[in-house]
Amino acid sequence: MKLQAQYNKISIASSIIVLLIAGAGYYFLLHYVLKDQLDETLRVEQVEIQDFIKTNHSLPPATTYKDQRIEFKKIDKIFPQSFRTLMLYNTEDKENELSRQLLFPVEVNGQYYAASVTKSQEDTEKIIGVILLITLGLIILLSILLFLANRFLVKRLWKPFQATLSSIKNFDLNAPSAIKTEKTIIHEFNELNENIIMMTEKVVKDYLSLKHFTDYASHEIQTPLAVINSKLDILIQDPALNEKNLQNLQAIYDAVDKMSKLSQSLLLLTRIENNQFTDRQEVNLHETTKNIIQELDDWIREKSLTVCNNIGELKVTMNRRLADTLISNLIINAIKYSGRQESILLRSEKKMFTISNPGMQALAGDQIFDRFWKSEYSDGTGLGLAIVKQICDHCGFLLRYEFREKIHHFSIVF
Amino acid sequence: MKLLIIEDEKELAESMASYLKNENYTCEIAFNFKQALDKIETSDYECIALDITLPGGSGMQILKELKNNKKTDGVIIISAKNSIDDRISGLRLGADDYLVKPFHLSELAARINAIIRRKMYNGNNIIHFNEIFIDTLAKQVMVRKDLVELTRKEYELLLYFLSNQRRVVSKNALVSHLWNQEMGTGESADIIYTHIKNLRKKLHEKGCGDYIRSLYGMGYKLTDQ
Repeated sequence: MKLQAQYNKISIASSIIVLLIAGAGYYFLLHYVLKDQLDETLRVEQVEIQDFIKTNHSLPPATTYKDQRIEFKKIDKIFPQSFRTLMLYNTEDKENELSRQLLFPVEVNGQYYAASVTKSQEDTEKIIGVILLITLGLIILLSILLFLANRFLVKRLWKPFQATLSSIKNFDLNAPSAIKTEKTIIHEFNELNENIIMMTEKVVKDYLSLKHFTDYASHEIQTPLAVINSKLDILIQDPALNEKNLQNLQAIYDAVDKMSKLSQSLLLLTRIENNQFTDRQEVNLHETTKNIIQELDDWIREKSLTVCNNIGELKVTMNRRLADTLISNLIINAIKYSGRQESILLRSEKKMFTISNPGMQALAGDQIFDRFWKSEYSDGTGLGLAIVKQICDHCGFLLRYEFREKIHHFSIVF
Repeated sequence: MKLLIIEDEKELAESMASYLKNENYTCEIAFNFKQALDKIETSDYECIALDITLPGGSGMQILKELKNNKKTDGVIIISAKNSIDDRISGLRLGADDYLVKPFHLSELAARINAIIRRKMYNGNNIIHFNEIFIDTLAKQVMVRKDLVELTRKEYELLLYFLSNQRRVVSKNALVSHLWNQEMGTGESADIIYTHIKNLRKKLHEKGCGDYIRSLYGMGYKLTDQ
C-alpha cells in the first residue's frame, strides 16, 4: 500500500470517528439543554396558573394557544408533580406531535384538580435536526478537504522523493549515470538524496575497480607466463638435457598451460558477468555444433567415440562467441569423460538442446556448475561447466543435468 | 634481414631475440616507447614484434606512426589481452597478425616467417629443408619433384617444423598451434604422436630422409644432424 493511501486512510478514518463522537455528544447535550429549557417554560406557566388561582380562587380557562395547551381535570387526591414526554394529537397541524407535559395538582375551593401544561417539542426537534445536519455536512466537507489536501499537497511534498526513486529505478551499474535529484526544502529528502548520491558513487567506483581488477589481474598474469614459456622454449634447445630433465620441463609446460587457461576462463566469466557480450544475432546451433564436432574430430577419433549429431535447425538469438563457447564446453566435457568406444548423443527438440554420454554414476547435481568443482577424474580447470552455467544465466536459458540409466544428460532450454 | 622486438619485459624480449636470431635474421630490441620510435624512424625492418602496453605510450601509436610514414615493415602484435576489439583495431591499423601472451617462441617464429613470406613481392612462397619443399600459396608439399598428399593437420605440422628448423619444438606448442588448446595436453600427446607418425610415413614413402626426431615425446625437432 502506498504511504499516501495509508496516511489518507488513517487521517480520514480518525477524523470521521472524532466528528461522529463529537456529533453524538453534541446531539445529546443539545437535547438535554433544550428539554431543560422547555421544562423551565412549563414551570413558568405552572407558577402563573398557581398565582391566578391564589388571586381569583377559580381555575384559569383551559386554553390551547399555538403549540401550548392548558387543561384541568377533577381528581380525588393529591399526587406529586411530574414531567413526561408523550405523543399528542395536534388539531391545528392534524398530526401526532412529540410533546412535553407538566402535570401538577391544584386546589380550588377544596376541590382538587390535575392541571397539565403541554408544549409541543417539535420546534426543539427541528433545531436538533438542523444542528445534526450541519455537523454531518461539516464531516463530509472536512473529509473532502482532507482528501484533496492529501492528494495534492502531500503529493507535491513527496515529488522530490518520487524523482529520486525513479532515478534509482533507472540506475544501471553497467551504464552508470549520476542520480538526478530535486532540490527541496524538506530536510529528510535532502539528506536521503545526499546519501544516495554518495552511495551510488561509491558503488560505481567499487564496481569499476572490481571489474577492472579481474581484467588487470588476468592480463598481468599473462606476461610472466609468457616469460616462463619463452625460457622453457630456450631451455629445451639444450642438447645436454636428459629424459628426467625433459619430464620436469614438461610438467612446467603443462602447469603454465593450465594457469593460462585458468586466467582466460576467469576473465571470460568476469566478462559475461560484466555484460561485455552485448551484440546478439541469430545463431543456428545446427551449424555451430557441426563445426565444433569437426574441430574436435582428432579427439573423437583418438578415443574411437561415436558422436551422433541430431541437432536440427535450432535457431537462438545470442552472442555468437558465447554460443560457440557454450556448445563446445559441453561437447568437450562429454568427450573428456567418455570411455573409449562409447557414444555421445546430441539431439534437439523445439527449444531444447541435449547432450548425453554414458557414465558410471550420477554427478553431484547441485555442485557440478559451481566454480572450481571437479570430479575425481578431472584434470581441467574446474571452470568449464561454470562457464556453461554463467552463459545460460546471462542469456536466460534453463540448464539441467540428469542421470538416467547410466547416462549423463545435459539440457539447455532456450 | 632485420627484426625488431618492442617489448618492455626484458627477459621476454631477450628470449625472443635469442630464439629468432639465426643465419638469416638479426634482432634488435626496444624496451620502451621512445626507443621504439627512434628505431622505426632510423631503420626499416622485415618484421616488428610489437607489445601493445609499453611504458611511455601505446603500441597502437607506433602502428599509426608506421602507417603515417608509409613504412612497409611487417608487424605482429603481441598482447596480454585476448580481446577481439584490440585485435580488430590492431589489424585495421596495419598490423599483419596478433599473438596473445603467453605464446611459444616457435609459434612466434612460424608467424613471423609467414608475414615475411607474404611481404616478399618476388613470389618467394617456397620454403624448403633439404629435399622437402613447401609451396605456401598452393599449400603443397613436394619431396624433390614428387607431390606428397597430406591432411590439413599434417601439412600444418610440417610447415611448423620447417619454420622452426633445427630447433626443438615442444609438444605443448604443437598442440596450441593445431587446436587452440581446447583439450588438455594429456589427451593430445597421443594425437600429436599419431599425426607425426603418419607424416613421417608419407614422407618416407616418397624417399625422403627421416628428419623428425622425438625427444621422449615431449618435444620434436626437424634436423639433419
